[in-house]
Amino acid sequence: MQLEIHNIAKRYDQNRGLAPTSFNVVKGELIAIVGHNGAGKSTLLKMLASWIVPDGGTVIIDGIDLKNRAAIVRKVGFIPEDPNLFDFFSVEYNLKLFAMLNQIPFLRVEAILDEFNLLPFRKTKVQALSKGLKQRVNIGRALLSDPPLLILDEPTSGLDFEMTREIYRLLNSMHDAGKTIIFTSHRPEEIKNLATRIMVLHQGSLIFDGLPGAYFQSEIHEQLYA
Amino acid sequence: MMRNILVLLFNDLAIAFKNKTFFLILFIPLFIFVSLNLIDGSKAETDKIKIGLVQDEAYAPKLTSSIKAAGKLMEITWVKNEADGVRLLKEHKIDGMLSKDEKVPSRLALLVLKRESLHTIAIVQSFSALQKAAEGRDPDWIATVNSLHEGGIQRQTLPTWILMLVLLIGFIILPAQIAEEKEKKLLLALLQTPIHEVQWLIAKLLLGMILIISAILLLHLLGQFGPVNFLDYMAFIVVGSFCFSAYGVCLGFLCRNQASARTLGVIFYLPHLLPSAMSDVSEKLTAIAPFLPSYQLYQPLQAILLEDGKLANMSFDWIYLFLLGLLMFYLSYLLMKKRWLM
Repeated sequence: MQLEIHNIAKRYDQNRGLAPTSFNVVKGELIAIVGHNGAGKSTLLKMLASWIVPDGGTVIIDGIDLKNRAAIVRKVGFIPEDPNLFDFFSVEYNLKLFAMLNQIPFLRVEAILDEFNLLPFRKTKVQALSKGLKQRVNIGRALLSDPPLLILDEPTSGLDFEMTREIYRLLNSMHDAGKTIIFTSHRPEEIKNLATRIMVLHQGSLIFDGLPGAYFQSEIHEQLYA
Repeated sequence: MMRNILVLLFNDLAIAFKNKTFFLILFIPLFIFVSLNLIDGSKAETDKIKIGLVQDEAYAPKLTSSIKAAGKLMEITWVKNEADGVRLLKEHKIDGMLSKDEKVPSRLALLVLKRESLHTIAIVQSFSALQKAAEGRDPDWIATVNSLHEGGIQRQTLPTWILMLVLLIGFIILPAQIAEEKEKKLLLALLQTPIHEVQWLIAKLLLGMILIISAILLLHLLGQFGPVNFLDYMAFIVVGSFCFSAYGVCLGFLCRNQASARTLGVIFYLPHLLPSAMSDVSEKLTAIAPFLPSYQLYQPLQAILLEDGKLANMSFDWIYLFLLGLLMFYLSYLLMKKRWLM
């Protein structure tokens, strides 16, 4: 999996958004994107997930342009901060619906239910689940098509300690399985424990891109969390 | 306690303002005021009965002279032939037409739009009074009253109810569902699968059409109303449901959330419903209504259900609805591609 991002940009009102940004990602990286609120982290991830149409620039995943959505969807799994599931249907229904749309056999749904410890909740309506469980279903859904690139927007936001640890475990196991992962976070310990590379966005611009060691020794980290 | 109630009240008012509910409070009375003005443009216009007389027909001199004498009450419009009279009747240029009665040639037949209406009663009563005054005997000028619209009151109001159903689903239910999918980011989740935007749009379009057609069929079953030309009727319902479902999908794309969709839906619903449904009672509304797509559905429905109309004579209406539906579908596609308000 090779991700090439060249001058991708998005402007909102009042000059917010993301200035032209370029970087490359290689297979197996686990990248944390950090920055204050409004720094452009979510905007960047949403553009990679085709949720937002960029104003300009190109994104190439394994030689395929992001604009070719039909070809790219199986390569990218996006997990937004707030789980976007059909609340009034069961966990199983949600997974089977997306399996059908992805043309994936239902056996994969069973595997996901098992892997994410969701078997006891398979008939439970999503609206009756805690946020942590919903997030697990959301990650499971994103993994249905086994995409090589996973993008997570603040995956542990609003979760308790237990659920946060569970998400870390899932991220680590997915990383060990060879997946490339990009996630945003506000938690220094999360970044320290998980990331193999850190990128810092500030007011829509990429101001740091390097290894965790270099980041935690830099002034940028101190300024961010001062 | 009072303070908290006030704080909550102001918060609710702010929400109503934010989600544009306030616009409805301004829009609905304003719209009804304009509609009422169009119906009752002037008192003279509504009071005077306009009677069509066929040029080649031989009317009793007392009849024509009586009508002319009652100039403040009635007005004669000379029509070339019966077909011309029917046209003027449909356009609300005349209130009724007198022609020779087929069964009793010495007497007259009155043709009106609807038999069971206050307007028809007023016309018959006026003629009775005129004859009594002119000849001093029991009224017998009018032998029969025929109506352009067949069936009783229930059937005559059927096109209005059907239009209401179509617009309710097209402008209120469908946009709200689409806005909900956008608001909860469900549509974006679906777009992370290999489905094409057009597939999603077609599914929504079919949903709207199924809801509309089911509701109409249920209405027919419950009311036991059977259309005369079933195939023509169904073809028109399909084209109409296609057009207003596509319209509804497009409206849904213009809204960020359900509250906006509700407001926008009502803003579109009333102006599409009232001028068309009330065009029967006003010449001015009859002139305005054809500019609305709802009228292109309502008018043929009325013709098929009440006047035994045929689809072949309504080419303009169904082509108009079909093309408008296609345009709305294309606009929805463009908005979806741009991830508009998603």
